[in-house]
Amino acid sequence: MMAGYHPLVKQMLDGELSLADLPPELRGEGEEALRLVQAADRAPVALSPAVEDRVMALVRGHAASPARRAWRWLHAPRELELRLRVRPWAVWGGALAAAAVLALLLSRPARTPNSETRVASRDSVFVRFVLYAPGARRVAVAGTFNQWDRSAAPLVPAGTSGVWTTTLALPVGQYQYGFVVDGERWVADPAAPAVDDGFGRRNSLVAVTAHGTHVL
Amino acid sequence: MSRLSLVLGLVLLAILPGTLDAQDVAARLGGRVPPTVRQAVVTIAAGAAARGLPVEPLVQKAIEGGAKGVPADRVIAAVRSLAGRLGDAMAALHEAGLATPDGDVVEGGADALNAGLTSHDVRDLVRLSRPPYDPSLTLRVAATLAALGVPGPQALQLVEGMISAGRSASDLLALPAEVQAGVGRGATPAEAAAGLARAAGGSPPGRTSGFVPPGQSNPHRPPPNPHKP
Amino acid sequence: MGLEAEASDAEVVRAVLAGDVDRYSVLVRRYRDRYARYAARMLGSRDVAEDAVQDALVRAFDRLADCRDPNKFAGWLFLILRNRCYAERRRRQRERPLLPVDEGLAGPDRPDGAYDRREQQRALEQSLGHLTAEQREVFVLKHVEGMAYDEIAQITGASVASLKMRMHRAYDRLRDLMKGQL
Repeated sequence: MMAGYHPLVKQMLDGELSLADLPPELRGEGEEALRLVQAADRAPVALSPAVEDRVMALVRGHAASPARRAWRWLHAPRELELRLRVRPWAVWGGALAAAAVLALLLSRPARTPNSETRVASRDSVFVRFVLYAPGARRVAVAGTFNQWDRSAAPLVPAGTSGVWTTTLALPVGQYQYGFVVDGERWVADPAAPAVDDGFGRRNSLVAVTAHGTHVL
Repeated sequence: MSRLSLVLGLVLLAILPGTLDAQDVAARLGGRVPPTVRQAVVTIAAGAAARGLPVEPLVQKAIEGGAKGVPADRVIAAVRSLAGRLGDAMAALHEAGLATPDGDVVEGGADALNAGLTSHDVRDLVRLSRPPYDPSLTLRVAATLAALGVPGPQALQLVEGMISAGRSASDLLALPAEVQAGVGRGATPAEAAAGLARAAGGSPPGRTSGFVPPGQSNPHRPPPNPHKP
Repeated sequence: MGLEAEASDAEVVRAVLAGDVDRYSVLVRRYRDRYARYAARMLGSRDVAEDAVQDALVRAFDRLADCRDPNKFAGWLFLILRNRCYAERRRRQRERPLLPVDEGLAGPDRPDGAYDRREQQRALEQSLGHLTAEQREVFVLKHVEGMAYDEIAQITGASVASLKMRMHRAYDRLRDLMKGQL
């Protein structure tokens, strides 16, 4: 292990001293230290212009999605408890899409007749999954609630917006899940709580309880 | 994996009460995983059942591996690893005074260990999780906080603080979403958790105020030159 | 472009919140590259940085209503990106703890005498990958972004004294890691 830099050399690196301020015996060390910080790459980094297109495609999808409308609705006090989350995701190799899972819960029977149709039963609730995946040919959600069956819960595209959705009636419990794009690519929400699946990937988490859906 | 071990596994599962039936395990895995995985999981499940561990999570993990097209050896390793965590969780629950914990609590403990909490964390949290607090719930909340990036000890303290303050199960369940919201507002997971802990415990706030991000106050200033004139 | 380019952050934020989603592209263009260097140096890869910046921009949109002072959108966005970078580092450490940072930042070698500098640059980039996230951040903000300690303190919430301590440990660690390459 090489000894650290002399405190005066560190002060020089911090910009508090110049090389000329160092005593002669520290000049060599000082010059080496300067070479170190001068090796920092300060060149501007330009991202792909496609970033703008991708971001705007994602945000337009979010803005138009039922999730966002529901979020606005949530800001007004209601009788129904509702939790939701929307998360983007990116995939490898430049082909980029966005994923979002939205859990809409009606935890207690609402008094309005229209809402009652959305309550599955006393012990299960409707959970809506939304995935933004432009370019995908097919999308499904699979998890512990459907024995990880890649074809049991397909999502339906909402027009040509790239948004895919499905609503499942899930019993109360905690679930791990992932999206399956084009039958083979498993995608977890990287921004959501997720756990190691033991196979080198991540599983997203959602809990359905008598109090609502939750991000665990 | 020999045929003998499969038979032994089936026999063990068949004679153990309160667990998935041996044929159930084999049948549920049939067609979902390769035969080598099925044989191995039956044996692992038999061993787990003999120790009083829940078998369903092991079956689920094997099915998940099959659905994801994971190679057989990795599926077996993951199932074996999960069985180990279930065993560690069970030991922690015993230390916490739960002689025959529910399978869901054991699984919650294994999830907490998978998220980075320690056996001691699991033990301590379960000790605190007396009625009306369900230990499977408190364990999963702490595990999710850890999965969000909240340091393990801090996740534990936050949940413990909520329990000590007598907060409701709904409040506990809302913690991960509140941490996420805090992160969305710019806090680190640890900072967001600290803010929630202060809110629960009433300790004084201490967050830094606004700041100037890179490129804002001095967008054209060149990098510093340590060679002072 | 003219009118859009001159609009303040706050004006654009308010327009977007009022429903003019397409105006968000003004902020995307404004901050896409401005924060790219920070993300690239923190994550050691332009491609990963691109994902991080993109994700931060989308997250910022999703939570735009939480941006209490639209005049400070830049700082608010930076905090989201910073958290995204930290999360990405944690994720990569969990999933690939033994792998070094990739070489996405290294350009082609040049036969014009810049070889040594390029090699030093590459060595430093590799070495930065061995620092803690906090050490790397203070190095990047000071020696890449050119910020003063008090400015960094405002971002991180750490005191200037602790930042200096962090940086001085980083100097020592980097010296050790780059032994024979300076």
